[in-house]
Amino acid sequence: MLSVNGLCKSFGTHKVLDGVNLTLNPGEVVSVLGASGSGKSTLIRCINGLETFEAGAITVDGFDVAKPKELAEARRRSATVFQQFNLYPHMTAVENIALAPVEVLKRPKAEVIAEARALLDRVGLAHRADAYPAQLSGGQRQRVGICRALAMQPRYLLLDEVTSALDPEMTAEVLDILKVLATTGTTMLFVTHEIAFARSISHRIVFLEKGELIADMPSADFFSERGRSLPRVAQFLSKLQGEAL
Amino acid sequence: MRYTEFTPYDIVLLLQGLSVTLWLFVASTLIGGALGLGFAVVRYYRVLLLRQLVHGLAELLKNSPVLVQLFLVFFGLPVLMKINLTPSQAALITLSGNTAAFVYVIAVSAIEAISRDQIEAARVFGLTRWTILRRVIAPQALAFAIGPLTGLLVNQLQVTSLISVIGVIDLTKVGHILNLRTLKPFIVWAVVGALYYLTAKAVAYAGSRLERRLRAHTDWKGV
Repeated sequence: MLSVNGLCKSFGTHKVLDGVNLTLNPGEVVSVLGASGSGKSTLIRCINGLETFEAGAITVDGFDVAKPKELAEARRRSATVFQQFNLYPHMTAVENIALAPVEVLKRPKAEVIAEARALLDRVGLAHRADAYPAQLSGGQRQRVGICRALAMQPRYLLLDEVTSALDPEMTAEVLDILKVLATTGTTMLFVTHEIAFARSISHRIVFLEKGELIADMPSADFFSERGRSLPRVAQFLSKLQGEAL
Repeated sequence: MRYTEFTPYDIVLLLQGLSVTLWLFVASTLIGGALGLGFAVVRYYRVLLLRQLVHGLAELLKNSPVLVQLFLVFFGLPVLMKINLTPSQAALITLSGNTAAFVYVIAVSAIEAISRDQIEAARVFGLTRWTILRRVIAPQALAFAIGPLTGLLVNQLQVTSLISVIGVIDLTKVGHILNLRTLKPFIVWAVVGALYYLTAKAVAYAGSRLERRLRAHTDWKGV
């Protein structure tokens, strides 16, 4: 179980996260919604140990990310896909995927490379396995980013606005893959602006507003009367009526 | 009577001078390069005190004339440490230190030129600082640094000519000797200059070859 308890995080005097509680159980897909600047990405960055926080606790299968000795173990259980892909530009797609399994998990290189190629095949990129990131489109890069995360065989997949840097067509490429992952039991914490998609794949929706988690409920409830009974959620959803929800 | 003609033996003399220059250049490049990289790693790991020490030393070496450093090492160090230094040893120490300071500066800026994003990704995936340096930072930093490094080495090759003033029989010193004997400065210095020129060109050529190889590795051409 991944659990966040009373998480508080500030940048200077600006409170970004204020007492956030959240649990993610194995097999669950939880989407984090909220306006830009509501603290969604910061939440992910606290979970994967890229940001320190003032108060509260985050544990991944019991390993405390705030303790330097346990962070490595916590990180080994989750894997992150980034908004800006963050691939290593000097490595091919396959090398990007294979680096951490070889260096961190100490697995045999040949085996990891074969697995990386199989992953790329799954996301329709077998033919681009030996291309460098600069030679790939945004959607292709993000698919490599997803493979890189999956290659670590994480128990929790953290997705930080993974389609925000992509045009609609490329977004669709990436979402199709996430849909397959969601339906095959991958545990995901999905920070996104793709509301309609979040609705279609999530078991639960959590809603962040100015750093506070003001809703955490099953997806069906969030998009029905129960969610709309919260004024801020109703307002957020009403702006999206143009979109087919 | 004074003998002012050139002899075939002068060619041997010039080549001997050139080999001394090259030897000092290569040795100081290797030692200075290793030291400079070591300095940059100290900075990368933010080693307390050592980091400030390294930075201060690099600043001193960068901002004072090599000739003054050379005098300080050749005349000052033996007095201070009660040791004997040959001119070659003094030259090697000085040139290595000077190269180290500039390699350090180039390495630091090359490391800083690498985007933080991918380093964050590497950290999240659990790579250690050392692995990140070795597998993510170093290959890219080298591609950034190779241009400035080539420029530095071409310059350091010319700087080696300063060591002739403390009595190292390098190419410049041989030029001096031949000039005094033959009294044909235009020919002597033109030949000496041409030899430096050819060596510098060879260094620059090797650098650009290496750069092309490192850059091909990161093919930046768009989709």
